[in-house]
Amino acid sequence: MGDGLSLSAIIMFIFGATICYGGLAYFLYRAYKSKRRR
Amino acid sequence: MAAIGSAVGLGNVWRFPYICYKSGGGAFLIPYFVALFTAGIPLMILEFSLGHWSKSAPPETFKKIGKKWEWAGWWSSLVPFIITAYYVVVMAWCFAYIIYAIDLRWGADAEHFFLTTFLGVTEGPMTIGGIRIAALLALIIMWVLIFIILYKGVSRIGKVVIITVPLACILFILLAIRGLTLPGAVDGVSYYLTPDFSRLLDVNVWLAAYAQVFFSLSLAQGIMISYASYLKKKSDISNNAFITALADTGISFLAGFAVFSVVGYLALTQGVGIESLGISGPSLTFVTYPTAISLFPVAPMLFGVLFYITLFTFGLDSAFSMIEPITAGVHSKWKIPKEKATALICIAGFLTSLIFVTGSGLHWLEIVDHFISDFGLVLIGLVECLIVGWAFQISKFRIYANNVSDIRIGRWWDILIKFIVPAVLIFILTMAVYNLITTPSEYPWWALLMGGVAPCIIIFIIAFVLMKLKGKTEVKNG
Repeated sequence: MGDGLSLSAIIMFIFGATICYGGLAYFLYRAYKSKRRR
Repeated sequence: MAAIGSAVGLGNVWRFPYICYKSGGGAFLIPYFVALFTAGIPLMILEFSLGHWSKSAPPETFKKIGKKWEWAGWWSSLVPFIITAYYVVVMAWCFAYIIYAIDLRWGADAEHFFLTTFLGVTEGPMTIGGIRIAALLALIIMWVLIFIILYKGVSRIGKVVIITVPLACILFILLAIRGLTLPGAVDGVSYYLTPDFSRLLDVNVWLAAYAQVFFSLSLAQGIMISYASYLKKKSDISNNAFITALADTGISFLAGFAVFSVVGYLALTQGVGIESLGISGPSLTFVTYPTAISLFPVAPMLFGVLFYITLFTFGLDSAFSMIEPITAGVHSKWKIPKEKATALICIAGFLTSLIFVTGSGLHWLEIVDHFISDFGLVLIGLVECLIVGWAFQISKFRIYANNVSDIRIGRWWDILIKFIVPAVLIFILTMAVYNLITTPSEYPWWALLMGGVAPCIIIFIIAFVLMKLKGKTEVKNG
């Protein structure tokens, strides 16, 4: 360790963040859209 | 918001990052997401549908499925009640530590302060060691707080979570940012995220992922059924389930950065390996973290106070959500006013908690938690799937959920609830029994029997007794 984050760690970070926060943003957007429709 | 508050708890902070690190680092995210989408979210949709359909507390919900299944509702309400009895004690510790953090009272030896000065931990579970006054006072405050939040019903819960959930999230983001700006943080995060894909071939890693999803989302505790019963008629069930599950996972993922950055900093400062530091459970929260906070170059007291306020807030939302199902069940069956039902349950909970604020409390906490989490919750989840999947027409719930949801669920959901989730839960249960038999415990067999097996059996019997007792309307009807 001590050399900063490896490429594989960065890829896993992007993977995790995309699903968690991207997914959350997507479903919040859908909820907002559906609420406006109703 | 309340469901998110319930799902996000201490487990997100002290369990997920550790399991991730032990189970292949970043590679663990793959089985975790698979478990989330194949078991966690489908089960959450099921529980939301059950509550929304029945508009009742868990016991009445199961009674509506079939009169003989009412016990399952009581059982799933009693288990979180037992969990709360010790969960509130951990919150009481967090509350005490908010005050201790003001002057960093743990000093240079946080482990000695926590185990000896604060808890007075005895050598074994049978040496009770007397009640710890500081922990007792904090415990009383916790139960009074839970009573104040719950006794007015769902309107007050809504007002509380609208403040506590965003507050805890903002504070946690601040703590993660602070952690990531410390020297050594990148090394810590590297331990957390560097993937070891070979671990994906280990069946235990997949089991750990399913178990973590199951516990983290507050499933099989009657909570989601209870909360969903208060949802408006037109509330979107599927979308709410996705939002709750992903928000919970997002906090867990973030927790890894908050924890491992600080652990990395501590490892660098003390010149030790990360492996030698406590990175899960109470040892992370009350030994490793305070040790690191004391070494913070800027405003250690401020970050100490913020850290314990965050944990306390996360814990509070989970704690009162675990009391809500049993309170709602008692209130609904015997028509006892909500205030009285809440007071009764809180007093019973406080009395049950007392054993955990004695010198032997930490031992009993570990024993009860192990059995309730590994066996109690998994069994209830299994029973829930079997009752709804096999004794009832599961497709009816799918159609019901689809009628009020923007996102339509297909027949795959029926298959997951009827076959896949029960199979996984049976496997988790079998592994837990196998581990119990083959792994020697640090506690004697009679302590495991008293603190683990007995509570599980007793609450199972109480569930049947509560079902057999006549409710107020039943008495009137003759």
